[in-house]
Order: sequence, then C-alpha cells, then structure tokens
Amino acid sequence: MDNTSVIDLRNVRKTYKGRIEALRGIDLGVGAGEIFGLLGPNGAGKSTIVKIMMTVVRATAGGGTLLGKPLGDKGALARVGYLPEHHRFPPYLTGRQVVDFFGALAGMRRTERRLRTEAMLELVRMRDWADRRLGTYSKGMQQRVGLAASLVNDPRLVVLDEPTDGVDPVGRKEIRDLLLRLRSEGRTIFVNSHLLSEIEMVSDRVAIMVQGKVWAQGTIDDLTRSSRRFEITVRGAAPEWAASLGAVRVEPASSTIALQVADAVEAQPAIDRLRAHGAIIERAVPVRESLEDLFIRAVTDPSSGGTFNPGALRDRPSAPPPPLEAAP
Amino acid sequence: MSHDLPQGTSWRQTWAIVVAAYRELNARKLFWLSLLLSGIIVAAIAGLGLDEEGISVFGWTFESPFFNSTVVPSATFYKLLFTNLGVEWWLGLGSTVLALVSTAGIIPDLVSGGAIDMMLSRPIGRGRLFLTKWMTGLLFTSLQVFVFTGACFLVIGLRGGSWEPSLFVAVPLVVLFYSYLFAFCALVGLLTRSTVASLLLTMVFWFLVFGVQSGEALTNWGRTGSAMEIASYESEILRREAENPNDPYLEDLLEERDAQAEDDATWRLVHNCFMGVMAPLPKTGETLELLERLLVDRSGIQAPERERRGEGIFGSNRVRAREVRGEIDRQAVSRSLWWTIGTSLLFEVAVLVSCVWIFRRCDF
Repeated sequence: MDNTSVIDLRNVRKTYKGRIEALRGIDLGVGAGEIFGLLGPNGAGKSTIVKIMMTVVRATAGGGTLLGKPLGDKGALARVGYLPEHHRFPPYLTGRQVVDFFGALAGMRRTERRLRTEAMLELVRMRDWADRRLGTYSKGMQQRVGLAASLVNDPRLVVLDEPTDGVDPVGRKEIRDLLLRLRSEGRTIFVNSHLLSEIEMVSDRVAIMVQGKVWAQGTIDDLTRSSRRFEITVRGAAPEWAASLGAVRVEPASSTIALQVADAVEAQPAIDRLRAHGAIIERAVPVRESLEDLFIRAVTDPSSGGTFNPGALRDRPSAPPPPLEAAP
Repeated sequence: MSHDLPQGTSWRQTWAIVVAAYRELNARKLFWLSLLLSGIIVAAIAGLGLDEEGISVFGWTFESPFFNSTVVPSATFYKLLFTNLGVEWWLGLGSTVLALVSTAGIIPDLVSGGAIDMMLSRPIGRGRLFLTKWMTGLLFTSLQVFVFTGACFLVIGLRGGSWEPSLFVAVPLVVLFYSYLFAFCALVGLLTRSTVASLLLTMVFWFLVFGVQSGEALTNWGRTGSAMEIASYESEILRREAENPNDPYLEDLLEERDAQAEDDATWRLVHNCFMGVMAPLPKTGETLELLERLLVDRSGIQAPERERRGEGIFGSNRVRAREVRGEIDRQAVSRSLWWTIGTSLLFEVAVLVSCVWIFRRCDF
C-alpha cells in the first residue's frame, strides 16, 4: 500500500427531502492498494457515501476526489468498478452480454473488451454459464456476473456494496480470495458490508459509521489498541489485592484478572506477584476487542445499555456515540 | 467529454445501449406479435383488388358500379388502403398501443434501484444517457413501420403496378407521431417511476389530444360551413338586389343571414378556443394525415353521383356537405408543416428538456 489517496472525501453532507440528515460531515480517506471496509448499522449512511462517490446521489455540501479527480470526473469513473447492493441487470441479456455491455459503457474498445470479458468470466468461474440469460441465474451467479461486470474495465478502484450478499459460504471465500488477489494486483478495494467477520478477515483499514458520521477509521489494530489488555486466569478465587491490578471476573472454579497493559512484558510483574502469593496460573493471554465488539460499542449507548438510533436523523441529532477511546 | 477517455467512447456507449435495446425487443413477445399482426394486415391488403367490374377479395369478385377501377385507379386504391387502414388505423392506433405497452417501462426500468446505479457509475453524462434510452424506445415503432412499409411497397408494386419509394416517408412520419407520445410517456415514467402509471397516463393524454383535435375538427366544420352559408346568402342578396331592389324576399334573406352571422360568431369563438388549446399540443392526427397528403392524388378519383349531388348543411341546401369537406381539405393542405410538425416538435422538445433537467438533478 502506498500513501497516494485514491478516495478523499471532505465534510460530505447529504440531507434528503423531509430534512433527513443521511450524512453529517464525512471525512474519509482511502490509500492506494488497500482494502478498505466501511461498516455501520442499517441506515448509517454507508450506501449514501458510496452513491455520492459513484455520482448516483449528489452531496448537499462538501466534496472530494476519486483517483485524484473531482467527484463525477468521467475519466476517473472510467477507471472505477462498482457493484451496487441489490443490483438489477437486464434479464434478457446473457452473462457475457452483460459484462460486455458494461465494458462498452466504460468506453473500452471492442477487441480489448472481448478479451477482458472472457478473462473476467473465467475469474468469477461463470464462463460455462456465460451464454445463458440472466433471468435463469441464481442470486449467487448473478452476483458473480456482477463482479465480472464491475471488473471488466480493469479498474484501479473497485467499490463493492455488500458483495457477498446472497452468496453461499464457498462463494464468500472465493470472493474474499478475489479481493486479496485484486489487492495484490495493486488495485484499491472499497467494501461496504454488514458482515463484520468478513471485513475483519480482508480489510487493511476500516471505518465505522453511525448516524451519518464516521465514528472511527483506521487499521483494526489501531482501532482496538485502547482496548488491549492482558488476562490472567488463576485457579479458585483471586486474592483481594488483585483488584488493584485490574478488573476481576469471578468464575465458578477460577478468576480472571484483566490487566490494562499493552503486552506480555508489562504483565510479568503481576504474574510474579500472583505466583509469589501461591496463586496457580491457569492461563495468561493478550486480549483485545474484536471488530464486532468495537462495532457494538459504537452503536451502544453506555448510559442506558441500549443501542442508539442507528440510522439517519430527522431534524435534531440524538446523543452522539461514545468516543473511540472509551474502551471497556 | 473528459480527455482521459478513449476516443470514440460516446459512440461505443450509444451503440451498446442501442444493441441492448434491440436484444430487449427480441426478447419481448409483443414485438413479434405486433410483427405478426402487421403481416396479417399486409396479406389482407394484398388480398384486396379492384378491376373494372368491382372489388375482388382473395379472388372473389363483388361487382360494384360505384367502386371499381374506373372510379378509383388501382394504385390509388392501394395507397389509400396503406394510408388509411395501414398507417392511420394499424400503425397509428393498434401498433402504437402495442408499442406503448412494450416500451412504457423503458424509463421506469432505467431509473429503478439497482439498475441506474451501475449506469450512472460509468463515464456517461446523465443527459446523454437519458436521451439515448429515450431514443431506443422509438426502436420498436421504427422497426415495425419499416417492415410494414416495405411489405406494402411490394404489394402496391406487384398488385397495383406502381412502385412508390415515396411510401417510405411513412417511416419518419409514424416514428415522429410516436415520439410525441413517448416523450410524454418518458416524463411520466421519470416522475412516477412506474410502468403502469406512465402507460395509463400516456393513454389518457393521447385520448385528451384526440378529444381536442376532434373538437377542433368539428367546430372547424361548423365554422367553415357557416362562413360558406353566409357567403351564399350574401351572394344571393347581391344578386336579388341587382335584379330587383324591392324583392320582397330580400328582407327574409337579410334576417336569415344575420341569424347565421350570430351562429358564425359562436362557431368562431369555440373554434378559436379549441385552436388555442391545440396549438401547444402535439398534432398526432394531423401528422399521420400528412402521409395521405403527400402520397395520394385524389384528382383521379371519380366521386359517385349521389355524393356529387350531396346534401345541404344547417337544414338548408345552400352549401353542400361535400363542398364544406372540400374547403376543409383545402384548409388542411394549406396548413403549414410548421403548424403540424413544428409546434408538435416544440412540445416534444419542451417535454424532453424537462425530462433531462429532472434526470440530471435526481438522486437515485
């Protein structure tokens, strides 16, 4: 990954009719050659961001660049591949015709288009079905053809909105492998998904959106840094003074002490002290939040324990989510 | 167009959309049904014939002193069949309804979620995308009318003995006629994003335009007849005054003329109202009638004696219906192309500019 900015959005706002604030000032940066995952609950504004980048929706305010060109630049769009959520291709076209059609719309010449169409159908393993009409395809097959159509123009940036939607587990793994392959070819991939585990598996960096704002963005390692701890599990009850080391969780036959330290080196004095007092240490492991924990924290109101209204806001904003640093 | 795009991008995009539209037509049963019906109508036209004794239908001759090749030349008979039955009734009504049913979904499908996203994410301007999709909607009618006209060209040539390449003027005229309706259909489709709504509202619009045109034609009949009636009175009054200034019948004539003048004022007012409403609307009927004006020379047709005698209008025998019809035909011929096509195109352009303006500003 290099530091060239492929997507650079500045203070992007979108207010729909009815004064629904879908986006409330989005700043987002995606570097070249990385897989970037955009996360957020339903209605958080993820699709609106993608649609603004793809010129399907117009921003109310703010702007930015795509591949170094202002949003909407036709030359930049010719080098972008996009697969929307719930895409709908003409059912009377065959898979091959669909891929070729979107290649032509990207301005590709016929010879180049033919070669790329075959290569992309092969890549998504749809070549054997390429001459059948889309109306006869399953959801997963349509998704594969959609991927081929979004890649036919040899894009530098690939924007995928819920790419594994409707795809079986084997297909999902294939798509994950495809994303990694595209990254290895130097392409930038922007993935919008609900599936946290999949994002966690492939993304270099993520952003979490809540209520039309980016709550946090960075590498998963960076985002979970404040939640890092070292957990020591001792047999039976922990000594009373162990509470001064960190939070103690009592279990039926053991106790776990969560130390707020960054790594094992910093945990050694506590281990030594426990052993000196005769505690039997069953387990000592570094622990950090999963992406799912982080996500749940982003959408949970710490005062009530319930979730924030996750979606777009009408008229007045509700209480903001807690800051990223407020890790448990 | 950005300089970063390969040369010829616009052409490739347009061609790709047109080819996709053609594939869509091929996949639609209505398109083939419409072609089949066209074939049946052409066969019916070919099955009819005129000879000196009367009319023949698929080989059976029905003798008629009023309708035979001495009254109507054979080529004119086929051209009248083509313009009236083929173009006005089939292409102008039956096939148009099928075309509307088949193409009303083009714009709603374009702007539907999931379809529009991938189109707009490609390097094609919104205005060009919309207009290209709109033009593909004319493909149905263009192909239908071209095939139909081609078949009729052969029939008129082989059966009527007259090879008339000018028949193909029907292609642009019928497509033009359909384009008025399809522009409106596209606007409704864009606003409602519903195929059913765009189809039904276009039918309603077409019916309203037909109603206004019929109202104009009816009131023009009254206005023209009334003016001719008054002219007839005045001519008789002048004649009688010249022959005998004390003619006792003069006073009655003056009264009748004044009464007719009052009616005439009403006819003019109502007709002017219809003309005012009709002016900005597309001239659907008149556009199709242009074809007959261009193709058929009625001078060779001998009207039957009964029609030549004719009947009077307004309860008198001063002006005959046939004379009024002749005058109205002369008016129709004297109406400029600007009135028929120019104002219709202005309507169409206004609708399409509105569509593009809306489409460019829409969020999807």
